[in-house]
Amino acid sequence: MSDEGSLISAGLRIVNRHKRYIFWFWVLNLTLAEFGTAAFRNQMHGGLDHSLLADKLLHGFALLVFVELLTRPETGSMTGSTMPAMYFAILFFLTTLLLMPGVLEGYTSEGRLSREEFFLACGRNLWRFVRLLLFFAIIAGPIAGMLFGIKAALVKVAGKSTNEMAPFYTGLLTSLVIFLTLTGIRIWFDLAQVDVGVRDQSAVRKSVAAGFRYARRHLFRLLATYSGIALVGLLVLVAGVWIWHALVRPSSVFGTFLVSQVMLILWLWARFWQRAAAVAYYLRESSLPVPLPAVSEPVPLPEPAAPLVPPTPEGAAPA
Amino acid sequence: MTLRRTFVLLSAVLILQTLAHSQATATSKGAHLATAFLIPETTSAINSSTPLSQRVVAYNIEAKYDAARHTLDGIEVLTYHNLTGQPLDRFPFHLYLNSFQPKSTWMREAKAMGSRDVRYEKWEDKYYGADEIKSFEVVGQGDLTSKLEYIQPDDGNKDDKSVVQVVLPKAVAPGESIQFKIKFHDQFPETQARTGWKRDFVLGGQWFPKVGVWWNGAWNCHQFHVTTEFFADFGVYDVTLTLPHYEVVGATGVLVNTVNNADATQTLTYHGDDIHDFAWTASPRYKVGEDTFPGAMGPVQLRLLMQPAHWSQEARHAKILKQTLEHFERWYGPYPYKTLTLVDPEPDSAAGGMEYPTFITGDTTWWMPDGVHLPEVVVEHEFGHQYWYGMVATNEFEDAWLDEGVNSYTEVKILDDVLGRDTSFLDQFGITAGEHELQRLQFIGVADLDPMARKAYEYATFNSYGGITYGKTASVLLTLEKVIGEDTVQKALHTYFMRYRFTHPTKEDFLKTFEEVSGKDLRWYFNQAVYGTQVFDYEVMRVGSYPAAWYEKDVKEKKGETVYESRVQIHRKGEFVFPVEIEVKFDNGEKVREQWDGQDRWTRFTYQKRAKPESVEVDPDHTINLDRDDFNNSRTAEPRAAATRKLANYWNFVSQTLAQFLTWWLV
Repeated sequence: MSDEGSLISAGLRIVNRHKRYIFWFWVLNLTLAEFGTAAFRNQMHGGLDHSLLADKLLHGFALLVFVELLTRPETGSMTGSTMPAMYFAILFFLTTLLLMPGVLEGYTSEGRLSREEFFLACGRNLWRFVRLLLFFAIIAGPIAGMLFGIKAALVKVAGKSTNEMAPFYTGLLTSLVIFLTLTGIRIWFDLAQVDVGVRDQSAVRKSVAAGFRYARRHLFRLLATYSGIALVGLLVLVAGVWIWHALVRPSSVFGTFLVSQVMLILWLWARFWQRAAAVAYYLRESSLPVPLPAVSEPVPLPEPAAPLVPPTPEGAAPA
Repeated sequence: MTLRRTFVLLSAVLILQTLAHSQATATSKGAHLATAFLIPETTSAINSSTPLSQRVVAYNIEAKYDAARHTLDGIEVLTYHNLTGQPLDRFPFHLYLNSFQPKSTWMREAKAMGSRDVRYEKWEDKYYGADEIKSFEVVGQGDLTSKLEYIQPDDGNKDDKSVVQVVLPKAVAPGESIQFKIKFHDQFPETQARTGWKRDFVLGGQWFPKVGVWWNGAWNCHQFHVTTEFFADFGVYDVTLTLPHYEVVGATGVLVNTVNNADATQTLTYHGDDIHDFAWTASPRYKVGEDTFPGAMGPVQLRLLMQPAHWSQEARHAKILKQTLEHFERWYGPYPYKTLTLVDPEPDSAAGGMEYPTFITGDTTWWMPDGVHLPEVVVEHEFGHQYWYGMVATNEFEDAWLDEGVNSYTEVKILDDVLGRDTSFLDQFGITAGEHELQRLQFIGVADLDPMARKAYEYATFNSYGGITYGKTASVLLTLEKVIGEDTVQKALHTYFMRYRFTHPTKEDFLKTFEEVSGKDLRWYFNQAVYGTQVFDYEVMRVGSYPAAWYEKDVKEKKGETVYESRVQIHRKGEFVFPVEIEVKFDNGEKVREQWDGQDRWTRFTYQKRAKPESVEVDPDHTINLDRDDFNNSRTAEPRAAATRKLANYWNFVSQTLAQFLTWWLV
């Protein structure tokens, strides 16, 4: 098996060992979105619940009926629906920021973390992850801005060509470059996050540097791993849309719900798989001798005065 | 003295006689000259052995296009036959390309109201267009270039040069003809309002000086406005275009001659009969498809000029074009021309979706899915203008609804027939949209702003012009089907077409044809729908029931046994009065249909039955397309939340996806 394959399978083993994380993040994702949808649901109730025209949306999807529904004065402004959805999306992001250290702690541990250990890791690393986020924003923001600017300029230039396809292919190619660049930066910071957790690193800039070193060492392998898993996510989207369209009856509310949520769970799974692959890679790479700067020589921990746990008699089962 | 006086008198008489004779001779010579300017009786471009229109003009234009500069130099010989019944000494001409200048009326309106294509955030040189008259001669009256003056009959904007006028030293007598020789120079803008260049593509529309129309006892020659199109007299066009040899060219009419010149140019000559405009296009990259339609009056050569990246859609375009032709001939009348050129214009060129006689432009993209019927809609609509504008040449400045609106109605009818009522616009991944709804949706947001019978340049907003002119007119005619029947509407349109083709009918000609064919007085409807701004909105206001013996103690309701007293209340929310049908559906499956004339603001129906109303619906057959709000047209007694749950699921899915997408990139 190739290195990429082993990294993918190592990540898959880790993510499958900790499936409950995916479940809880899905619950969180769904719950927050439900809150975010409440305003929209209320708006729809007024127009749809007593109208026979609702059948055109239930037994199919008559686009213009939906447009009329959204534009009738009685429905009210859509800002009232979109803003709560945005707020809860941001809340999901913040909650993930809070909980991700626990997930990574679990992925780097041999066994299953207790609830206390999980939340302890979250609390210990929260501020560090916030700082990592700031570093990420400082680095990725300008790069993304520049790349999107270049893309727009190139597409504009291509638009002057008499070949109609030129702007499309230019856009596609530059989007691919942007995707790979931002994925590379994401890999860098995913590894930095693992480093923060594993090393219990307070000086996050050192983890940023470590993440960069690790990412650069096998960047193409990591990019291939991340892109391969992203491709799985894309296939989930294509398959999901096809099932939704071909197999689920338009009027089946439960069927719609089921397919959409399976897609969302699988996307969560794909992202956690990427994280797990990064953890597997980090653990493998960090076992190699890494030259440490002189100022960061490890300080030996003081020997405990007495063992915290009494030694177990040989052959006896642990308490 | 007497003799002398007699001599003087005789001399005076002789002189006067001599003068009168010489004047008569001059008039006779002049008449001879004038009648020499004959409008040709040619029929080579039509499937008819005799002319089809009363030909007023004959344009003979020689033009040379400079592709590098996007300029054109032309010489126009215009023969005008005075059929007005009175002498004419004043002639106004449209110079449409002058509208693409910063202070023009068109540009001012585009800046203020928005235009269909360009957001004029800042002025750019490429927007500039001009139609400059280099010299203006009237045969027999000399060079009158210095007598030309720009006029602004609509708004008095002195900076607008879209209409120029000349006052002749000698009037043209009734029945006589006059000939103008005009040298002009065009600067095409980057495509705006369906004319100009984009990359190496050019569409020459409204590119030559065009005389106004004597209509209803006066010259009708409006300035060009952002919401208006055109108006011109029928006649004969002979146009010779010289362009670079590599250009693939399409134009109005029939190609009669091609010459390859020594200077790497080509000269193409086109001829058109019984048309009122001439447009052409050129691009080195067109791929040409050809087909034939067996028309009722003779074969029609179809020529499709497609973009290379759209070539796979050539068959799709040809198919809808032939289906449209077949429907128009079957329903409304014959297509008499020998050619029809369909141009797939340069992408992003703002040249798509336009009509000229025997020449239309489509609109598509390289990735257009089969289920998105935009190419079909555009091709059908623009072809429809061959009838409603091309042949029934109404005044597009003043009665835009008579071409755009009537055409939108026939668009709905034909596309519904070809692609299905609920899927005529969109049928992709289970998402559907029909033309009926599309037309209705266009106007319901502006339903009370403007009447249909308003000059196109006097609408409140750009959206109002579009919504009322296209959407409301189509909806008014669709709803009229409920009043006089679908077949009668079709018959009336057929009559209207056959009676008024190759003329300039008015709105009253149109409306009276419907009254005549249906045999009904429809003023009550037209006064509200065409001349008024009344909003059509009926609602089911209340549905309720209770046990008839509610006053008895311990009443126990049992389905099928308990007698209920039920009340249904219908409310006319809008000012538009229209008789409607109401269907009450009871929970035992029984359906009751009621009629209401809509005269009062509300009405009530009461029932005593062993069943309760389950739902009530106004217009249960969905024949009224004018109602501003279709959601309140029905009401169920009990709420049904399934549709809301389904939409909430969709919303949830999108919210969750966005949340994940945001999070996975940042954390």
